[in-house]
Amino acid sequence: MWTSFGFEFVNFYLIPGLVLGCIYALGAIGITLTFGILRFANFAHGEVMMTGAYLTWTISTLAGSLLGWALHPLIAAIPAVLAAIGILILIDRYFYKPFRDAPTIMVVMASFGMMLVVRSTVQFIWGPNQLTFVKGIDRPNEAVRQFTADFDMMLLVPNKHFWIMAGTIIIMLGFTYLLERTRIGKAMRAVSDSPDLASVTGIDVEAVVRATWIVGGFCAVAAGVFLAMDIQFLETTMGFRMLLPMFAAAILGGIGRPFGAVFGGLIIGLAEELSAYPWIGDAPLISPGYKTGVAFSIMIIMLIVRPSGLFKGRTF
Amino acid sequence: MRKIIISSIAALAMSTAAFAEVKVGNPMALTGPIPDLVAPMAKAVDLAAKNVNDQGGLFAGGEKYTVVRADSGCDPVAAVDAVTKLINISLVSAIIGPVCSGATIAQAESVSIPAGVVTLSVSASSPAITSMEKNTDLVFRAAASDAYQGIALAELTLGKGIKEIAVSYANDDYNAALAAVFAESFASMGGKVTANEAHEPSKASYRSEVATLGAGSDSLALFAYYGSGGITVMRNALETSAFKNFIGADGMLSDEVIKQLGAENLTNVTFTTSASDSGTAAYGAWKALADAAGVPASDPFVPNSYDATFMMALAIEKAGSGDRDKIAGALRSIANAPGEIILPGEFAKAKKILAGGGDIHYMGAAGPQDFDKNGDVAGSFSKSVVKDGAWSAELIK
Amino acid sequence: MDQLLGLLLYFFSLLTVGGIYALLALGLNVQWGFAGLFNVGIAGFAAVGAYTYAILTTDTSPFHYGGLGIPLVFGGVAAMLLSGVIAGIIGVICIRLRADYLAIATIGIAEIIKLFLKNQTDLTNGPRGINKIPRAWEHLSEERFYTSAPMTWITDAAGWEAFFASLPRWWWQPMFTITVLLFVFGVYLLLERARLAPWGRMMTAIRENEHAAQAAGKDVTRRRIEAFILGAVIMGMAGAFFAQHLRLIDPTNTFDAAKLTFLIWVMLIAGGSGNNRGAILGAFLIWTIWSGSELVINSSVEIIANYQDLFDVGVLRTRAGYLRMLLIGILLQFILQRYPSGILPESRPAAIGKQ
Repeated sequence: MWTSFGFEFVNFYLIPGLVLGCIYALGAIGITLTFGILRFANFAHGEVMMTGAYLTWTISTLAGSLLGWALHPLIAAIPAVLAAIGILILIDRYFYKPFRDAPTIMVVMASFGMMLVVRSTVQFIWGPNQLTFVKGIDRPNEAVRQFTADFDMMLLVPNKHFWIMAGTIIIMLGFTYLLERTRIGKAMRAVSDSPDLASVTGIDVEAVVRATWIVGGFCAVAAGVFLAMDIQFLETTMGFRMLLPMFAAAILGGIGRPFGAVFGGLIIGLAEELSAYPWIGDAPLISPGYKTGVAFSIMIIMLIVRPSGLFKGRTF
Repeated sequence: MRKIIISSIAALAMSTAAFAEVKVGNPMALTGPIPDLVAPMAKAVDLAAKNVNDQGGLFAGGEKYTVVRADSGCDPVAAVDAVTKLINISLVSAIIGPVCSGATIAQAESVSIPAGVVTLSVSASSPAITSMEKNTDLVFRAAASDAYQGIALAELTLGKGIKEIAVSYANDDYNAALAAVFAESFASMGGKVTANEAHEPSKASYRSEVATLGAGSDSLALFAYYGSGGITVMRNALETSAFKNFIGADGMLSDEVIKQLGAENLTNVTFTTSASDSGTAAYGAWKALADAAGVPASDPFVPNSYDATFMMALAIEKAGSGDRDKIAGALRSIANAPGEIILPGEFAKAKKILAGGGDIHYMGAAGPQDFDKNGDVAGSFSKSVVKDGAWSAELIK
Repeated sequence: MDQLLGLLLYFFSLLTVGGIYALLALGLNVQWGFAGLFNVGIAGFAAVGAYTYAILTTDTSPFHYGGLGIPLVFGGVAAMLLSGVIAGIIGVICIRLRADYLAIATIGIAEIIKLFLKNQTDLTNGPRGINKIPRAWEHLSEERFYTSAPMTWITDAAGWEAFFASLPRWWWQPMFTITVLLFVFGVYLLLERARLAPWGRMMTAIRENEHAAQAAGKDVTRRRIEAFILGAVIMGMAGAFFAQHLRLIDPTNTFDAAKLTFLIWVMLIAGGSGNNRGAILGAFLIWTIWSGSELVINSSVEIIANYQDLFDVGVLRTRAGYLRMLLIGILLQFILQRYPSGILPESRPAAIGKQ
């Protein structure tokens, strides 16, 4: 079975699917947290990803031209994360907070409007053209290739994919610690499970909201930078294009379930890449023209069959 | 609110009517899916207008040749709205066309043809434009129809000794049309198309697609815009070594491709475009102008944009006024033989000949611009390969 | 003279497009304003209507299926029916999803509809779209219409050609505009009736307190599906007019969710959701701002260019389009915070009885 499958399946379908899944997963964490704690679908989330990547690019370019430092994108991302969190908290303060007690639609509309505002601001400042993030072709890691070839299972993985997968795992570990062990993490879970009960027990809801933006913003910028590392350029619509698959991931995993979102992200990423595998005959199973439809179809089927998601999230 | 807007429009209309000028409308897809492709094209349009004005402007009185820009967003809705405003509010004499074929057809059928205004598209290449008009002669284009370029590309591919090829095209109006013509003519000339798949533009990863397509052939015909997924497809194909040879068309021919992927990775890449090579005098003249102004001379449809704007100025000069009805005839006259050859930028020379009652024949930066009865140009095509870290073009047809 | 005529024609065009958006906003008002159904798939329903109309009425073309020669009116009716049928199917499956979930489901369904239109090349010509769509009134001057019944009953081809040649070029523009406006008015009257009828009151009751309505023995799910279908039928009609206005439709750019769907939501929220007059007002107002803002922004850039030479305005010129998006986004925030119930807030039908 596995010999006829060949390792091309692992190298060209499975690993790329996992890499894409990691990016979706990180983005979906923020969406599911906002959905669970603030109870609205944040349409501006993709733009946070994109802005984070742009800020990272700007910082590393400035460091290169002013100081002559060649910063790794992951280091340049640290100040970008802080800036993006600041922006998120300001947006929340002035554009979302006024609608805390209003019907959900108001704040969803507000987030839709923020999506436009943030994106067009970035387009106005940086221009609509693509920016090169990392130049050149990142070929598969030679050491890994030779090492695994000795075992007849040659792995072809470029370095950037190791970074992305390792980065996602580290963030996930930290995130688990935060949610399971820290006071604020427990409070976040409590608010997500039952906001009424949580406020009765004296949890500072505003602090939880702030923490939500910090965690969500951190993960979103990480997702944006990982995406930029993978595609190696920046464009202003990169966040919006990821938004619907990330929603799909959040719903698949169950709203308010961060680990569900991670799982959902991986599934959506894999499903998109595997849909082009020639399962039957030589042609892709589903025409790549329908690739975007894969995530949407999974999402709609999930909504109809089991709206609470795989991990039994909240339904409203 | 409406009052404020209308009064400000009126104020604008009056303020601009104060000095002598001839206005042409220039809807460009400044926003939308391909802004990076359009930015240098807009620069070329401005450069042509500047050349005209620097050489004495239009007519004996030296009227200013003004380009009124609007945003057509590659979107029929935006294009129809933009052109409605250009024609009715800015009162332009002609339209130097929207970028995308869909937007061009929509604005022409919905607004400019009913209003009797000439459209000269800078880059619309859809075969549907050829058969669009009935009883009118108002739509022209300075870019060749895909029907020509697809065939030229198929010949080129077979000429390179590639007999089997996989086709991957971005599912948008431009690339889908071109891919269809290419696949058909490649097969009819004896080549074999191993796979012909659409891909969604601007996805984050195309690794699975290129792996599946790469199983059947080691050559890829890629039809995409570099700015919306094209570079990612190439990058993924190079990373996974799925393909050895790449061929493609205008949409991918940009310095940005070299800048992002690195010249050393692009040794087996050939892209065609509707332009001539440095061997022709017209291209040489254009290259000198473009280089001096900092416009990327060989980027997709940039020479065509210059040609369109420059030809429109020649046509208005020939017509003797900005009268909308006279432009179509004048455009045919200056672009087609007979006449003295005019190269890009030679406005003063053309003006002198026209003033003396002579005929001129414009030779475009993107090849001869002789319009046939449908307002199409046959175009000449060049192939570009990477040489010394830059695209180097050579005339093929 | 030219300027005045130009202004007049631009005004007609504003009214036409505004009217089409008003239809879309009225359709959304039935779904959201009346029934509280959060539909973010407006572009999908408009696309269904537009494509149905285009395929049924457009002349034979080598590029796509067509050439059925169906009269325009029936094309429009079919557009409404198909849009309604699809809404019915979606409604049966998805209507029990609440608020945000329905929003995400409809956005996904709209994307799938667009993907279908984009990939079924034989039927729709794929991303290249369908062109030469006949526009009401203007279509009369097309040869295939004036050489066939019923136009041949009046006079022959030569007679018609002479007649159309005697009209000014823009003769059809006011006729088409008035047709669109009449439809807007008709739909408005219909919806006002529905709103004041028991059906409308029941919808309000369901929206405000579902459980109470249910307890009172109302079939909540059924009423919701009805509202969803009615809204989609109106959107299908608007789609057919949209196709006529543009004369070319393509799946990706014409029915771009971020622009079309979003703009209509802004219109409804700004005008006042739940209020039909508000929906119409919002549509005309926001479209005028949207269309007019390009003129205003471009002329301000030119003014800046004329009065200073500190920096190059080239960048401003090419990026002005984004400035426009930014302004619309900020305008929306302003409206949401200052006028949360819109310019014309909803008036409850009950209040009329009390007067």
